Amino acid sequence: MWDAIVVGGGLAGCIAGIRAAQRGKKVLIVTEGVGTLYNFSGIFDYGDVERLREVPKHPYTLFDSQAIAQGQNFVQEICPEYVVNEKRQFAFTVLGTVRQGDLMPSSMVLPDRQEQGEFVLLVPEGLKDFFPETVVANMAREFPGWLVSAEKIQVEALAAWTRLGKNVSSIDYAAIWRSKEGQKVLANKIEELNRQRQVAGKSPRKVVVVLPSLVKEYYDASRTKPYGNEWSLPVLEMSSFVPSPHGRYFAEYLKHRVTDWGGEVMIGARVLALNGELTSGSKARECQELIVQSMGKSLSLRGRKIILATGGLLGGGIKVGMERKSIREGVLDLPLFVPQEWSKPQFFAAQPFAQIGVETDQFMRPLDPASGQVVWDNVHVIGRMLAHWDPWTQKCGGGVSVTSGYAAAELI
Amino acid sequence: MDSREELAARLDACQKCNVCTAQCPVGKVNPHFMGPKGLGPDRERYRRGQSILDERTLDDCSNCKTCEITCPSGVKITEMILGARRAASRVPHNNRSGMKLLLRGYVLGRAEYLGKLGVIWPTMTNQVLKLKLVRLALDKALGISENGPLPAYGKPLKVQADKGGRNGARAGKQVVYFPGCYTRYNEAETGRVMTKVLEHVGYKTIIPDFHCCGLPLEANGQFDKAHKNGLYNLELMRPYLEAGMPIITSCTSCGLTLKEDYPKLQTTSAQLIGAQTYDLFEFLWQLYEKGELPLDFQEVQASYGYHPPCHLKAQGIGTPALRILGLIPGVKIRNLDAGCCGLSGSYGFKAEKYDKAMKIGSALFEAINVGVGRGDFQGMTTECGVCKVQIQHGTGLPTEHPVRILAKAYRL
Repeated sequence: MWDAIVVGGGLAGCIAGIRAAQRGKKVLIVTEGVGTLYNFSGIFDYGDVERLREVPKHPYTLFDSQAIAQGQNFVQEICPEYVVNEKRQFAFTVLGTVRQGDLMPSSMVLPDRQEQGEFVLLVPEGLKDFFPETVVANMAREFPGWLVSAEKIQVEALAAWTRLGKNVSSIDYAAIWRSKEGQKVLANKIEELNRQRQVAGKSPRKVVVVLPSLVKEYYDASRTKPYGNEWSLPVLEMSSFVPSPHGRYFAEYLKHRVTDWGGEVMIGARVLALNGELTSGSKARECQELIVQSMGKSLSLRGRKIILATGGLLGGGIKVGMERKSIREGVLDLPLFVPQEWSKPQFFAAQPFAQIGVETDQFMRPLDPASGQVVWDNVHVIGRMLAHWDPWTQKCGGGVSVTSGYAAAELI
Repeated sequence: MDSREELAARLDACQKCNVCTAQCPVGKVNPHFMGPKGLGPDRERYRRGQSILDERTLDDCSNCKTCEITCPSGVKITEMILGARRAASRVPHNNRSGMKLLLRGYVLGRAEYLGKLGVIWPTMTNQVLKLKLVRLALDKALGISENGPLPAYGKPLKVQADKGGRNGARAGKQVVYFPGCYTRYNEAETGRVMTKVLEHVGYKTIIPDFHCCGLPLEANGQFDKAHKNGLYNLELMRPYLEAGMPIITSCTSCGLTLKEDYPKLQTTSAQLIGAQTYDLFEFLWQLYEKGELPLDFQEVQASYGYHPPCHLKAQGIGTPALRILGLIPGVKIRNLDAGCCGLSGSYGFKAEKYDKAMKIGSALFEAINVGVGRGDFQGMTTECGVCKVQIQHGTGLPTEHPVRILAKAYRL
């Protein structure tokens, strides 16, 4: 008997699992694949929390500001490189445009635009889906008054790939920058840039090196050797693009935190159904067992609490059939809130389908939208599966997932 | 097949997110490998079960199945690759290197015959295999790497037929043990220890005279022979399966084959094999949940790093060995989960793949060395025999099957 079984190993599920394990609970995360963490930019968006707490039924209305702050502090506790500033902070996307972000690694935070300086964009040879000319143009537009230049950088370890004319994914480059060889190549290159600028004897401008595919954080000292991270010029990370190196290292790191604190991760297993009975004196049912499809047979797992963190439309938690004839929550077949109108013609408008999800009470227990009754007494729904929010226009994806994941772990 | 599996089997489930390719251990070390997405779903559109001439990179896939458990959309990637290899194996080879590789496939695929030969006079076999000249000859003649950690042979595990016949199966609590070639010919002591552990927990063990499960044969392109072995083994198991007896595996690759491939064979017992096959610790955990596992553990003061084999992950049962070992007072275990060891059955024994296999395993070796350096653990434990061989080869650290630790706790 587990204290809790978390269904889904994405951001919300992992945060719930780690916090529960840290609290000494016996916790199991059951997950089919790696989820959408590999789409992670490296930045947590919280959005305008105070304003969103005024939006009717928005998941933030389920939490007080203290609960939201606790989740945020927890991210900083497990990822000490993440910083929050009084001032709004910004980062470069891989296109060289600037985006605001609420919680981001300190090595991603852009310098003050007013400071006059120079960006040197390092362009790893053959980096997949990276367009240096566009990036340089965008950076120059975003930082008027700054010098922007690009410099190629190559590593011997990937020469075999680039010689064949193959692209190298940013995940593979990220691994190089974290290796001894990559650190050496980088250190030499940066030292060379530094020397060139000193020899030129120009007026001392601030020089900042920008390197796509660099991931310095999520460092796991119990499994990885430390290599020097000190360079003679400041080096900026850019936010990640799919398949994301930040997502890759973050996903691995989260998984290790779960198991190091005594939790377990069951990957490659899909939850099929949940069996339970009516609880005495209420209309809600109590979940008794979870049926999980493993290779060759189905397993029955028993948990006191079930945390549903299977994601929404994008993460695969909500299945939409052909011509939207069926719209279902894929595991427990929970009742869903589905808006009347599906979409708006303007691509970047707030799309109604983003609001699809499970309505819950203040303990994140699923409700039947028709009757307003709690459906399952010991099931808590977290992350993207919650109804009535839109990560794209409200920019609060990380915030809702972290807050609800952390809060659910506190209920175990 | 439920609708979800049907969808996954369809090519369209692949969203081209490239996460599998980013995670593929082979893609990281082999620039010529197009990766699981390319070789699986992408090429499958052209193949549709047929062979494409000169599609040589098919053999570069090590069949570790990391892609399948990574895929967020449940696409059966290795199934497509294996299907293509099966189709390609029907196309005649006519050049010399083709013959050499065919012969090597024949030798490495026959782990069973090699085992039977090796154990006739194990000390001699081991001495001969240690001779540099012999290894050089194997390398030149068969393309079997002279540096690869070929496992040593020992006194074989005795088959123990069911003396009581089918009636015996009904009489007491019995299980059928599928030892696999590695346990049977290379490390029979683990098999004997396992029999003792099962006896201690109240089960008599039957070991019929099984053939190789077929996985190494498939991996080396001998699909017909693998198919025959499967049918032969299933026929041996039939009376026991029909009597409802569990089939226990201690090798995670044999276990995966029994659970994943055998149910697809065209014979009546195929319908039973998936649900009745258990990894040893999966079985013991089930006993524990029912309150039937003896808990007379003696303290074992030891700490281990644990390597979850790829084919255990692919079974979708989590890490039951850690749950059981966690019950033993004194035992400390860190789940390293640092990726594939690289050997992948017989992949790392091949001359052109030895270096790649070592590179694939480097993240795991680093995690082990860091852990030992910090004093986190002194030994390693893993279920898979060849992972064990590779870990010892890559780090020099003693590595044992987790059942050995359990046997210590039971004082067996």
